[in-house]
Parts: sequence; structure tokens; C-alpha cells
Amino acid sequence: MRLTFTLNGEVVSLDRIAEDLPLLDLLRDTLGLTGTKRGCETGTCGLCSVLVDDALTRACRTPVTKIAGHTVTTIEGMLGPNGELGDLQSAFLEYGAVQCGFCTPAMVLAGEALLRRTLTPSREEIRRAINGILCRCTGYQQIVDAIEATAQHRRDQQKATSGGEGQW
Amino acid sequence: MVSNLRYVGNPALQNVDGADKVSGRARYVCDMVVPGMLVAKVLRSPLPHARIARLDTAPALAVPGVKAVITHADFVDDGNFGWPVKDAYVLAVNKVRHVGEPVAAVAAETEAAAMAGLNAIIVEYEPLPVIGTVDQAMAPEAPLIPEVSPTGKGNLCNSHILRNGDPAPLLTEAPVRFEATYEMPHQEHAYMETEGALAIPEPDGSVTLYANNQSPHINRDIAAQVLGLPTNLVRVIQPPIGGAFGGKDEILYQTSAQAAKLATLAGRPVKLILSRSESMAASYKRQAMRSHIVLGAETDGTLRAAKIDLTVDNGAYASGTPLASWRATMHAAGGYRYAAVHVDMQSVYTNNGYSGAFRGFGNTQASAAVELAIDELAERLGQDPLEYRLRNCLREGDATMTGDLLNQAVGLADCLEWVRDRSEWTKKRADCTAQPEDGLTRRGIGVACYFHGSGLGGEGEDFATATLKIEEDSSITLTSGLTDFGQGSRTVFTLLAAETLGVDIDRIRVLRPDTQTALDSGPTVASRASIVGGNAVRVTSEKVALLLDLAAADHLRCDPQQLIRDGEGYVGPDETPVPFETVVDHAREMGLQLSAQGRWQIRPIEWDFETGTGEPYFCYVFGAQVAEVEVSRRTGRTRVLKIWAAHDAGKILFPKGALGQMYGGIAQGLGFALMENFRFKDGVPQTLSFTQYRLPRATDVPEIEGTYIQTAGAIGPYGAKNLAEPVMIGTAPAIANAFAQATGIRVRGFPLPRVKGWIRRQSKPCPPVLANL
Ligand code: FES
Repeated sequence: MRLTFTLNGEVVSLDRIAEDLPLLDLLRDTLGLTGTKRGCETGTCGLCSVLVDDALTRACRTPVTKIAGHTVTTIEGMLGPNGELGDLQSAFLEYGAVQCGFCTPAMVLAGEALLRRTLTPSREEIRRAINGILCRCTGYQQIVDAIEATAQHRRDQQKATSGGEGQW
Repeated sequence: MVSNLRYVGNPALQNVDGADKVSGRARYVCDMVVPGMLVAKVLRSPLPHARIARLDTAPALAVPGVKAVITHADFVDDGNFGWPVKDAYVLAVNKVRHVGEPVAAVAAETEAAAMAGLNAIIVEYEPLPVIGTVDQAMAPEAPLIPEVSPTGKGNLCNSHILRNGDPAPLLTEAPVRFEATYEMPHQEHAYMETEGALAIPEPDGSVTLYANNQSPHINRDIAAQVLGLPTNLVRVIQPPIGGAFGGKDEILYQTSAQAAKLATLAGRPVKLILSRSESMAASYKRQAMRSHIVLGAETDGTLRAAKIDLTVDNGAYASGTPLASWRATMHAAGGYRYAAVHVDMQSVYTNNGYSGAFRGFGNTQASAAVELAIDELAERLGQDPLEYRLRNCLREGDATMTGDLLNQAVGLADCLEWVRDRSEWTKKRADCTAQPEDGLTRRGIGVACYFHGSGLGGEGEDFATATLKIEEDSSITLTSGLTDFGQGSRTVFTLLAAETLGVDIDRIRVLRPDTQTALDSGPTVASRASIVGGNAVRVTSEKVALLLDLAAADHLRCDPQQLIRDGEGYVGPDETPVPFETVVDHAREMGLQLSAQGRWQIRPIEWDFETGTGEPYFCYVFGAQVAEVEVSRRTGRTRVLKIWAAHDAGKILFPKGALGQMYGGIAQGLGFALMENFRFKDGVPQTLSFTQYRLPRATDVPEIEGTYIQTAGAIGPYGAKNLAEPVMIGTAPAIANAFAQATGIRVRGFPLPRVKGWIRRQSKPCPPVLANL
């Protein structure tokens, strides 16, 4: 089949793609985007999570037909225009949320998916938002810290923007 | 000079390779692609114990796309390796001893072709009697699992003893005597990245291996040996590693040698990555361990003596068990004062997979058992379990259970007091006791503590090396043979070099471990990277710092003693700072060579394995944890509400990393207590996926309040001690002890049972016991 979708802000069109090809294989093997990881064969580890539109999605369980015409964001798409780290990524470093790093891409995207829904998540909500992704290194606490701090940071930014408008 | 630390202990410090990882740019071995690369797959035994009656790999070579097939016969000496017991093989020889054991391997153009190749291999097994328990293994007529018994005593793999005084008369006379047996299950490392290697045959006949191993030099030596190559024709490079926890040694030596042989035969690069189910079947586990514990105490609770028998299930191969079981022997009675202790440990071959190193290295299981026992004993004595531990715990000047005199700061009581105060122990304990008997849920709060010997102890020569070079542009390159698999050693090495040289941290780059550039440092195990590896970096940096001082003094025409530092600059009596670069240039003009290598070794300790006496470790770390749990009567489910943890690790070098180690260790301990249980049924593994083997998720792990008690005087760099392993030890028993308060049920093994509709029983002199098997 011919597959057209938006990947990390750019329209991608590919020919002769098998319909049942999992999105994970497309990303890693066809497109060489290896930031998205494979951790199991049963759809349980969540390491392959990416954003399809705004929803956190396991790429290993998503046939490419499902993403035709949609927008996919991988960890590579979380970087700024000049390759600089985004706010959530910086927070992961600042709060010590990265150890071996193998779960980190999925964790960042899980955090992003949550923060697109709400900027006032409780720690309990953050835990639920990353519950589908296993991490064997960190015990999750510093990941929760990083997402919580980014929510605060984005709230402050919002307030600064809207506050600025109010003054004028 | 140590008074004004810029980097050591700085809470703002970040992981030096964190940006690669958080951006998705870090390339793990599974992410690597090279031109002409083949894919390898491994044929593994479906049976726990069988003779290989027939093995014909020729049909695989006829499969289109298959480029190479190997068996044990392709390796020197049948690919036999292993230390301290040389009982392992790269591919099975004559017999398979556990499910998942590799028998043959295929390299092909595509994964599908490799699978077709595997399917074409003709293999016939003659099943042998399966040994699924340690008791079966020790029965007189038990079939022998290893080729030759390393002890000459059937399936006994090895034994250790500890003899400190004579507990027998003390236990007979003791007014209070407690005796019980505990069974700890196997545990899976479950690093998120499975095992993998990429082997590249080079034109000069050498092989380059990228492998996610913990100890690249050991991997290189074994690969060279089984491939029949001189050591200098094998190069092992370690990419970033997606977690290890002790689990990436032997399994990686097998995997790497398989990939390397296939690559040299095919004359093309070969990538071999294990699937999750394959990893769970083929990789080694934490040993299952039985502890039979006898404790004797005075009526006031003062501990007098302990006699402990440990029986360890090491599975089909010895791997790290002879060493881990020694550590278990050295810690089996816990961090308490005793007048006499005997421990007898037997480690036994079975067909239950195989076991080796895992965080805590034997102490996790041994301490869990004794911490459950101490809690039961305190309950029988009618004493508060935390105060009971404080009364008996090791303090400076005491002798440990092995008789080792503690001439060091001992932070154990401080840790216990910290978790007591922070958790509001006394109030919570009383509140839990006062809960209604018939509530839908009941809460409990429990405690456990531990001590842990530092470094390898009697397990081997404990040294590390480092090299440091100032490059032409004054940037600095550092190498260490000890590796980082997520625990932050690269960051620790970087900050130690920056601190010692007095330079900005950005100047320094630690190279990835590569046997061609880094010097051998022994295995990266036992949380020794910070102490031993860190000291090697420190002494190496000091050598270069001394040269720079000479150069600066010469440049400033003063005495080296008159120099002070202003940031990176050097300041002499005339008070004008000279930039670092100028000093480096001047040093070169003087003909000084601005590179050094350094080695640091822990003074050898003296342990007599025959008599079971001596000094097992050069120093110790300590810690305590409190867990609060809630158990539902309807579902029987135990939820951990909060954990308080304190660990005495001397000076903390990299605070963010240290806390991360603590939280991560606690999550693994929580899994051990609540849900992880790698089960075998007659030698057949029952939990080969993450749906069957449950790992703690973010909602399973509670908020953790942790601290490091920074006692002084330790011999690590800037006074550091180790922490990565022992931080997990206290968690599981603390949770089980909390569960006991909530439910009145004393468990004698993990994981905790789910008992629906339990009714809280009043504590009786002999509490009800659920043996978990
Ligand atoms: S950081 Fe290693 S799995 Fe999460």
C-alpha cells in the first residue's frame, strides 16, 4: 500500500508498505528512527510508545494502516528546531529521571501526552499516565518529579503569556 | 584542598550522558546497523534436562539466505568457560541442562531466513530425569547434572562456612530460642534492554564486538579463548546499556561468542539480539535460597547466638553463585551483635534455569530471611520491632556476625532512628494496632535493616585502573575499565576528575569502555565502580594535577606550595590568575607528558575458606527502611503506601544519581516482596513474559522518602562508600513485616500471598505461618 502520514511535523509518503506492518517496525527498520524501543513481544512493556495525534500509543500493536492520514510524534520529534532539548526532556535530566535511558523516550512521550490533556495533574494522575510503561531502573519517582515540574513550568509560561496580554 | 568541593556532592549535577538518552539519540546495540549485516538466531532447548541424541545442522545451510551455522564443535575446547567454576559452554555439549540453553545458532540475510534455518536443524533429545528441587538434587541416587561434580559430591556445586565462636551451648542455654525456615524465590533481572551483540569481522582477521556486557575485558578474554584468537585480535566496545543489575555477564559471554563465531565464518557482520521470552528463559536469575535460622536471645531480647543453614538453588550452571553464596554466608545473621554465629551454606545444581549475580549478590535473600526472623522474635518477646533492632544493631567498636571489628563509623542506628522519626513510627504502629478487626482494609507498618560488606571482599582481587590525557586543545580524555549500565559511573568518574584537577566538568569526556583503549579493571560488579573505579580516577587525576602544579609554579616563578586556584586558573604570589590552557602549554614546553594511568586496589583481605574465619571485607555500609502497607480484605491485595529509607554510604558523590539508585533499588525490592516470582515447574519456567512475570509499575511503587546518612572516614574517593546494590535489601522484608502487622499473618517467603477474606488473628506465641512455595 501507499502510506501517507505526518511524522514529527513532516509529511511522509511511502510506497509498497505491507498493511500489517507494525508501526514500530516501520519506525525502527524502514525509517531508522531508533529512539523508539522494543522491550517485549506481548505489548506489555510500553517502551515502543509514541504519540498518534495526541494519544499515547504502543507502536508494536499499531498496524501502519491505522496511522494513514494521522500525525505521529516520536522522541526524535520532541527536540526543538535546532536539535535542542524540549522543556520536558530537560526536566528529565534536571530531576535525575534518566538512568539506563531505555525507557526514557516512551516516558517522555507519556508525560507529553498527559501534559497536552492537563497542566494540573496530581502525582497520582502522573503515575497513572506512565503506568503502561515499565522502568526497571528509577523506581519512577524522579520521572514523576520531572513531569510534575514541567506541568508547573508550562503553567507559569501560560500565566506569563496571558498575564502579559492582560496588562496591555 | 578537599574543603571547597565544586562537583563532589553537588545536588545540581546531571547525568553526563543523559542528553543522548533523553533525546533518543543514544545508540544501544539493538539500534546499530552496519552494511552487509546478517541476523542471527539461536536454537534453544525446550527441555530442562536431556541428552542430545542427534544434532545435524547441515540442512540449515541449505536454506536460502542462511550464511553460517554453528554448534559447540566450532569452538576451541567445545567453548567451555566459566569462573570460578568452569562448567559453562557457548553452545550445549552432548546434553542440555535447562530450558533455554543454546544448542546451535544460525546467521542469515533476514530474520525470516534465520528462523527457517533454525527450523531446518535436526535435533533429537533423549529426556533425562529432571531435578526440580534442591532436595531432589541432594538425594543419594540423583542423576548428576554437571559433566563433573566440582566438589566430588554429586550435585553439590560449592559450600561455604562461617565459624565465629561456638553458638551451640549459647543456643541451648538461651532463655529465648527462635527457629524457622524461610524460602526466597528466584528473581528475574528484567533489564528493559535484552541481551545483544554485534560482531564485525575485520580484514586483519580480528573481530570487533559491540555488546551490552557489564565487563568488556572478561568478555574479550573469553571470546578470544573460545574462538582460538590471540587476545589482541578481539576488541569489545560497550555501547550504552539498557540496565544490567548484575545480569549481563555470563549470558553476554555466550551471546557475544556466538555472534563472533558466526561473523568470522560468514565473513560478514552479525547482529544477535535476544527476544524477551528468549531472554527470560536463557538468562540467569537471582538464586532461590532456603534459610534455616536458629536465634538465641536473653529474656530482655539481647541477641546471643545464631546458627544458620543456607541451601541455594544455583540451577544448571555455577555462574556467579559460588561468590554470591559466599556473600550470603557472610551476611546471613544480619547487622546485629552476636557472641557466636555459625553459618553453613550449600549450593546445589538443579535444572531450574541457572542463577548468578543480581543486585545484592546473595545478601538480598539472606538478609530478607533474617529480617523476617528478627521481627518474629521481637514479636514473641513483646517488643517493638524497631526498638528491638536498635537494641541489637551494630555500632562502632562492635564485632559483626563474622567477628570483624568495626573500626569505622557505623551509621546503622542513625538510619533506624531516621526512618523511625520520619515515618512517625510509634504513632503509626499504635494506630495500626488500634484498627477495627473487621474493617475492609487494614494497615500495617514494618521495618527492616541491613549491613553489607563493600567491594569484592574475599570474592577476588579488587582493583581498577584509569587513564587520563590532556589533549592538544586542553580538553581531557578519561577512560576506565569499569562500565556504566545506567547506574551513573560515567558521571561519577567525570566529576571526580574535574574535582581533582580543578577544571570545568565540560572539559572532561569519559570514553565508552573499549578494550582497545581502556585498561582492564576486573568485573563491574558489587557496586564497586564508585569506590574502586573512582579511586583509580582520583589517583590518575592527582598524577596529572601534580605535573600541572609544577608547570604553573615554573611559569609563575614560585614554589608549587604557593599556588592557589581561582576557578580553573592558577594564581601565584603576584595574584594574577593564569588560565588553565597557558599552564598546559607551558607544561608541554617543559617537555612534561600530560597523560597518566593509575591503578587503585583495596588492600587484600584475609578470609580462610577452609576454617570459615577471617576478615571478609574492608568496610561496610548500613541502612534501614520502613514500609507502610494497606491490605484489602476483599481482594487480598497488598498496597504499599509509603517507604522511608536511610542508607549510610559515606560521602555522596553524585546526589541525584544516588537517590535514583535508592528509588530504583526499592522498586526492585518491592517487586521481590509483592509480585515477582520466577517460577519453575519440574524445571520448566512458567513466567517467560511480562504478562506472566509482573514487574512493579508506577502505580505499584509508592512515594519514597529517602536520605543518605553521610558518615565520615570511608576510603572511597572523598570518603564515599557503595550504595547501588544494598539499597534494595531492606525493602522486601520491611513490606512483609508491615503485612504481618496488618494481617497477623507471618510469611516465610516471597511473594506475599493474596489471602482473600482473611480475618485478623490476635498475635499468638506462635503466629500462623504461610509457607510460600
Ligand atoms: S531508566 Fe532504565 S528502564 Fe527506565
